[in-house]
Amino acid sequence: MDFRRAGTTDEIVSILAEVGPDATLLAGGTDVMVQYLRGEIAPKLLVHIEQVDELAGVDEADGRVDIGALTTHLTLSEDPVIRRTVPGLAEAASQVGGHQTQAVGTVGGNLCNASPAADTAPPLLVADAELRLRSAAGTRTVPLDRFFLGRRHTARRPDEVLTSIAVRPLPSHAGETYLKVGRRGAMEVAIVGLAARLVLDDDGDVVTDARLAVCSMAPRPLRLPDAERLLVGSRGEPEAVAAAADAVQETTEPIDDARARAAYRRRLVPRLLAEAVRLCMRRARGEEESWS
Amino acid sequence: MELSLTVNGQPAVVDVPPGTTLLEVLRDELGLTGTKEVCDEGECGACTVIVDGRPLDACIYAAHAADRAEVLTVEGLAAGDELTDLQRAFVEAGSVQCGFCTPGFLVMATHLLETAAELSEEQVRRGLAGNLCRCTGYAQIVDAVLAVGRGA
Repeated sequence: MDFRRAGTTDEIVSILAEVGPDATLLAGGTDVMVQYLRGEIAPKLLVHIEQVDELAGVDEADGRVDIGALTTHLTLSEDPVIRRTVPGLAEAASQVGGHQTQAVGTVGGNLCNASPAADTAPPLLVADAELRLRSAAGTRTVPLDRFFLGRRHTARRPDEVLTSIAVRPLPSHAGETYLKVGRRGAMEVAIVGLAARLVLDDDGDVVTDARLAVCSMAPRPLRLPDAERLLVGSRGEPEAVAAAADAVQETTEPIDDARARAAYRRRLVPRLLAEAVRLCMRRARGEEESWS
Repeated sequence: MELSLTVNGQPAVVDVPPGTTLLEVLRDELGLTGTKEVCDEGECGACTVIVDGRPLDACIYAAHAADRAEVLTVEGLAAGDELTDLQRAFVEAGSVQCGFCTPGFLVMATHLLETAAELSEEQVRRGLAGNLCRCTGYAQIVDAVLAVGRGA
């Protein structure tokens, strides 16, 4: 195996144009190095991109927030723009591994690794994230809900690098959250993770828009449009939440694994959804801060 | 493939194959065995070192990613025989049982103390969540960090 360091996005793109599928991009390495050391991947070339500064950082302009692919989980959890405009993403990033993982692990790595349990995926799905992918042929934009194709399988071509993620900021009269269930409060891979973003009418009474997404409930993180439709027009009453939870069960396919049984994952959904709806409504009404 | 780095203020040049971890370089090439190898997959924090100001698990960090970096290991904390306040607090609070996790806890807690003006118990516990102690002596470890963090 060979090792090369890229200093700019142009350099990454030209290396990928040359080497393509034989190269693996290495940022913080918290997934790539583990997979390499376990023998799960055997690239011919590691391209170290961690120091390409132009791919890191958060930018707010014209009603959109742009997140550089190399922005670390630690930055996401602390950044004031992220905490205000995509608070669910800050909540999720603060729950990815421990401090050591958050300090070097990146959001772009979390998405491109495409784990079914990727914590940053559900909050980005409810924020209508769009990914920018660059190659020698140019730049294209892919909505996040069409990016994940399966476990560790994405729409990224081998000659492309994910450069940034554009998200829609939380509108007014809206609240969002990311809830994660694990065996302990930190250092966990999600048994189930659920993100919700609810928009209420001006009276703070009726749900006018709902976004829901889950991880660890299918081979890939999923938006849940059927469940969302059942919440719109409701006041978050138990019957509406129960109907939405039933819809989640119909569109997901959890598995038994070392962390939990599929049946346990299914049992978590109604309670998680009820808690998420309650939190989002309280936050939308200003009764509770997203961050205490 | 050669790489050069500064470890605890000392420049070092090593020649190791790509894919070698920073932990292997520290322990096997430089003889700095204070940094421990335990889980080898970034779960336990026993190999925590600071690279250019960021605490990370050296067992899953590519050595060549640290080319030209400044690395701080547990050996770089004390000045000779002069322990740091945190190291003294570990001794006083009885934070060391078998001792295998201690270097990782010391490095991680040193970073927490350097990057926060004051630390609550919740912040200490959250900051140390990536470090495991199989003797489960967490209470004494948290006590030691708080003794230094609150006293400042």
